[in-house]
Amino acid sequence: MRKKMNWLLLLCLVGLTWTQAQEKTITGAITDQNAVPLPGVNILVKESTRGTQSDFDGNYTINANQGDILVFSYLGQRTVERTVTEANIINVQMEEDASQLEEVVVVGYGTTSKRTLTGNVAKLTSSDIAEVPNPNLQNSLVAKAAGVQVTQTNGKVEGGINIRVRGAASVSGGTQPLYVLDGIPLVDPVGNNVDVGNGAATNPLLTLTTNEIESIDILKDASSAAIYGARGANGVVVITTKRGKQGKAKFSFNMAQGFSQPTNRREWLNAEEYVELFTEAAINGLGEVDGRAEAESTFDFLAGDTDWRTGEVDTDWQDFVFQDGFQTDVDFSVSGADEKTSYFFSGAYNNTTGIIRSNELERANARTNITHQFSNKFKIGINLGFSRTEIDRIANDNQFATPLQAIAQSPLSPALLPDGTPNPSTLYGNFLFDDQNANFKTIIRRITGKVSGEYKLTPSLKVNSDFAYDLYDQTEDNYRGQNALFQSTNGQAFASDLGSESLVYSNYLTFDKLFGEKHNLNIVAGSELTKNSRRITTVTSQQFPGDDLPTVSGGAEVTAGTGVQIKNAFFSYFARATYSFDNKYLFNASVRRDGSSRFGENVRFGVFPAFSAGWILSEENFLQDSKTLSFLKLRASWGELGNAEIGDFASRFLFTAVSYNQRPGLAPFQPGNPDLTWETTRQTDLGLEFGFFDGKITGEFDYYVKDTEDLLFQVPLALSSGAPFLGAAGNAIVNRNIGTLRGSGIEIVLNTQNIATEKFTWSTSLNISQNDNELKSLPNGNADIVSGQNINRVGESVASFFLREYAGVDPDNGDALYYLNTQNSDGTLNRNTTTDPNEAQRVIAGNPFPQWYGGLTNTILFNNIDFSFTLQGEWGASIFNNGGRFQSVNGDFYDNQSRDQLNRWQQPGDITDVPQARLFGSNGSAQSTRFLADSDFIRLRNLTLGYSIPNEAVEKMGFSKLRVYFTGINLLTFTDYPFEDPESRSDVNGTNNPGQTFYSAPPAKTFTIGINVNF
Amino acid sequence: MKTHKIVFLLALSFFLFSCENELEINPTDNLPGELAITSETNVAAILIGVYDEAGQIASYGGRLQMLSDLLGTDTEVNWTGTFVQPREAFTKSFLIDNTWVRDVWGNAFETINQANLVIDNIDIVTSSAEEKARIEGEAKFLRALAYFDLVRNFGAPYIAGGSNSQLAVPLRLNGLVDFSVNLDAARDTVEEVYTQVISDAQEAYALLPESNSFFADRYAAQALLARVYFQQENYAAARDAANDVLLNSGHSLAPTFDDVFNKEGDGPEDIFSFQVTSQTGANNLVNHYASEADGGRGGDIVINDDYLALFDDPENDERASYVYTNPANEKQLTNKYRQQFANIFVFRIAEMHLIRLESNFREGTSVGLDPLTEINALRSRSGASALAGPLTNDLIFNERQLELGFEGFLIHDIKRTQRSVGTIPFDADVLVYPIPQTEMDTNPLMVQNPGYGE
Repeated sequence: MRKKMNWLLLLCLVGLTWTQAQEKTITGAITDQNAVPLPGVNILVKESTRGTQSDFDGNYTINANQGDILVFSYLGQRTVERTVTEANIINVQMEEDASQLEEVVVVGYGTTSKRTLTGNVAKLTSSDIAEVPNPNLQNSLVAKAAGVQVTQTNGKVEGGINIRVRGAASVSGGTQPLYVLDGIPLVDPVGNNVDVGNGAATNPLLTLTTNEIESIDILKDASSAAIYGARGANGVVVITTKRGKQGKAKFSFNMAQGFSQPTNRREWLNAEEYVELFTEAAINGLGEVDGRAEAESTFDFLAGDTDWRTGEVDTDWQDFVFQDGFQTDVDFSVSGADEKTSYFFSGAYNNTTGIIRSNELERANARTNITHQFSNKFKIGINLGFSRTEIDRIANDNQFATPLQAIAQSPLSPALLPDGTPNPSTLYGNFLFDDQNANFKTIIRRITGKVSGEYKLTPSLKVNSDFAYDLYDQTEDNYRGQNALFQSTNGQAFASDLGSESLVYSNYLTFDKLFGEKHNLNIVAGSELTKNSRRITTVTSQQFPGDDLPTVSGGAEVTAGTGVQIKNAFFSYFARATYSFDNKYLFNASVRRDGSSRFGENVRFGVFPAFSAGWILSEENFLQDSKTLSFLKLRASWGELGNAEIGDFASRFLFTAVSYNQRPGLAPFQPGNPDLTWETTRQTDLGLEFGFFDGKITGEFDYYVKDTEDLLFQVPLALSSGAPFLGAAGNAIVNRNIGTLRGSGIEIVLNTQNIATEKFTWSTSLNISQNDNELKSLPNGNADIVSGQNINRVGESVASFFLREYAGVDPDNGDALYYLNTQNSDGTLNRNTTTDPNEAQRVIAGNPFPQWYGGLTNTILFNNIDFSFTLQGEWGASIFNNGGRFQSVNGDFYDNQSRDQLNRWQQPGDITDVPQARLFGSNGSAQSTRFLADSDFIRLRNLTLGYSIPNEAVEKMGFSKLRVYFTGINLLTFTDYPFEDPESRSDVNGTNNPGQTFYSAPPAKTFTIGINVNF
Repeated sequence: MKTHKIVFLLALSFFLFSCENELEINPTDNLPGELAITSETNVAAILIGVYDEAGQIASYGGRLQMLSDLLGTDTEVNWTGTFVQPREAFTKSFLIDNTWVRDVWGNAFETINQANLVIDNIDIVTSSAEEKARIEGEAKFLRALAYFDLVRNFGAPYIAGGSNSQLAVPLRLNGLVDFSVNLDAARDTVEEVYTQVISDAQEAYALLPESNSFFADRYAAQALLARVYFQQENYAAARDAANDVLLNSGHSLAPTFDDVFNKEGDGPEDIFSFQVTSQTGANNLVNHYASEADGGRGGDIVINDDYLALFDDPENDERASYVYTNPANEKQLTNKYRQQFANIFVFRIAEMHLIRLESNFREGTSVGLDPLTEINALRSRSGASALAGPLTNDLIFNERQLELGFEGFLIHDIKRTQRSVGTIPFDADVLVYPIPQTEMDTNPLMVQNPGYGE
């Protein structure tokens, strides 16, 4: 090796001496298209190793020979080549690369340019994600990327986030993408762990803030994601934090203050209507005399000391549920770089008061990213971010203590007594008891850091060694005071501590060389070890002397405790080769071999290959001169990916410790399956990228097919087998790899530069995605798998709704009717109706996931005004209101009813969908399509209007930029959806029961005013 | 330059070094199944697990009792809570996807499978013959108890002297650990399940010791037999079994009616109870019967005056005033369930007295005690005046309601005595639980009960 390097050195020296003779010094100034000096431009003497960069004023100096070609390149600008002539000054004005095709895309273990990419990656940069006033980072991605559907479960500030990349490739396994932060695959330390939390998921990226994010690259197809092997099947979201850019230190300060409201409030009966409907219901249900007596005694009870007959009280419980939300965002950063060192320091603060009573979040973040070039061979960098997030949580959607459930209370009941304490005599437990006497505080501290070294062995071969560590520490303190709802043990305190450590150690070699002008070869090969361990302890105590000692030690009796330790490890080899010929013909192949502790010992290792190719037609002679078509690329990819999200010991046959009267026992906990392994998804993608009129119109069109085999299934077992209950929906289950699923779809991206003048520019970006999926085979001879209101059936979409079909109301007597839907002898369905829900067969009634979704963003710049807005739409999904059987059942029970129930059947001949009101009559209350609704919507997702103070004025104040802006999110929604909100779903259901709402909070509509200052 | 070399060497060593042994990670919080059934200690621990399983809220922790009373009630109580599952029992309109019914089913079969594991592996217990007998006896008792409640809830009523070929539930008598085998099973008949229950309970009686702390002893098995025979209207056998418990178990009526309820441990009257503490076990009866202050939801099950009107001596009968008004909502609630960590009794001495006296009455015998004397002895504990006689079946039925109200007896007494719930006859389809939808969806050999579609 050494000998070889010496020879190389010698060769270089010879070269240098030879060239020195005719060399001269070239100087010049580089500006952008607006004649503003451009610092940090790379200047290279073509086919040599000589290079420099422009200084802060855009000036450069370089030695070159006459006849040499100087290459000027800068991110986002079109690369310029100039031949050195006799002149000693070469000034260059660079042009913005409107087509954006030279955009750098972050793929695993490296970067590539959008132009030569053969896979499908959606890229969002800091400007796309900034100024979305929401503490959850992923909310900034909504409607921005084709094939990526982002939904926050509901309007709680810490609520879980669902990201579906090209639809789900799994039924029972995880469907969330892998998040990679600066090369560190992140784990969700809390996940579905039942020992901590309140039964509702939280966002695993809650601890990140948008101000530290430079870009988010979503790897969608197999070719781009395959480098992440067994964890890539649901797509990979690569998050890259900011780093310093060439130039003097840039200070940036942003501040925003927002105000929010729920997007929707439903209409409920007021006191008068409540009395009317329930009097009628009771008379219909129990007879004139008994019914009236029953209703009036109940009204007496509900009204307490007030008189319901005079309408003394008319409580709108939503006034107590919702509150005005507030949000403060402040962030500050300093960044810059010289030739050797680049630095980025930032701090951010967010304080969000949710739209639901008692729900708050406060977060502080700091980040330092530094790289230092010790020599032209050796570079070390450190990325270090830490954060503290404090959340005041409320109960999950399935608890009386959660505010939203108060909408079931009667308007006759005062919410509070005259002395300000909660009214105890309500129909259901009054959540205000918890509001006043209980709290649930979660604090998350997270430190994520990476040290990375890069050493250039030769100009074309480098080795990278990265060591990353992610420490997540979450504590929870829940105190339920003596007067909290349903509290009967003189107070109860719960404390938990969850510590999660992940370490990632990866090493890889990168070879990158241009051979003979036209052959560009890039090879990456390496290995990676990932280990995660979690340790959870919880303790509960009861019997408190008073509410002044609200910690566990204040309780006289410790009643419960857990100690859990969970570990998993992955060890992987990976390699990728990219070859391009003449910048026209592009080839890419990658392979990853993953081993995981999560899988059965018989099937612990898997190999995940991928191939792709691209052809840039516009570089061909026959298109090169086209005035209209400026860019055209065809690409295709195929690859295999895995999904390893099944929990840490899902393959094991396990017993768990139980206790009975403090005696230790053992009980079966999980049926085993030593053959359990990852799901394998084979994805084929065909893509077309184009640009017209010099990049004024650009776009992409993709078609993909995803076949998932060995689907991870929580296969329901006959309960009578005695198999242990496990997982969601009350089934006994075993984890198996059976079944196949096909997903397919198209994605269309269209960007247009509608107007581009010096003073006025208007651009539009549109993305539309379509996704279908179909189960191809299932366990047990393709037997249906029914879980609650969802079914997995061959030939249908995953988790389709499976419900009795509501047939409306019998006009003669007001009975609720259901279609029988039994099979006739000729195979057709019997469409006769029945009043007995047990007679009615269930049918496939809808899809919980949208078939079409998309976004449309317009950006307008006029003088110093910037204006942009994004429309978001989803079509084809339905949502099942699991609370419908309480909320909208024509006075079946005393729950307050949605106002549409006033349209009930009252006399023969009435044509309506709402059956006759019958108290305790179960008239139409069975689970059926009555409570299922289409959730199509179009929403004005965000709108920003900004004004930048003119440069001259700003510079006098010593700033380089000063901008004020207004931003709103979810300002307008167009939908026929009758329940809370088409983007709000229950936070208590597992993956098997998607698409349900159950007293779920709508998202926030937020109005924000902010200021950006740079200096 | 030195550092560069170190980095390089480190990286190189990593390529060569295999990390595959890092992938061998064993769970620390759960026990691999292969190890669970290997020692006597573990078999004994699995038996403890069977008690924990059976005592869960899904069945003996409270729901089984509440479903029986709500299904049997006409106007004695009101379900005023929000839960739809018990409301369906109350309105006699079970839907096949009722999750309480599903969980009664699932929990019973979990209990049965775990008991089967103990019975199948009983030969691992070698420390002493007594220990082996005790463990096997307890497992058989618990299996019999679970099957008895399955057969009388999911099968049509047992008809004395009939063939009882109506379908009950599958008899699964071997413990399963490998659930990858074919798990389909058809329903056995009511007769077959009763036969199995009696056989298990008789074996348990023979195996179990005279006393066994708070675990089942031989008199728990005998009390179960008394209840089973009684349900079959085999009054002679019921009488003799109850008589054995009354004479030999060492348990006797608690001094006062109030002493029976809301106790943290077992009282003198308790033959067998599921144990509840602030740390383990669960008492779901309190959840739905009690006020918020007592750990309930405020009184989902309200005691109507119609129930109190059943008392013939309300002035003196302590049981007639064993109710209170929840100050928060004016609901009238029973005093029986006001301590959220109270044990849940399954068999208590008062029931044995009621079985013996009714069996004697129906058989025209006086084994142990004359029926009228016995009923008056029981009544006198609560201060109720003595009945003058003569006794009738109606009087005895009424007395059972006075003494055992809200303890899970009502629907079974109605079926045994072939009465009706309001206007619904005892053998109506709606008084039998539906086979849970999930079982129908997963077990192709399963047949739904009449009246529930298909």
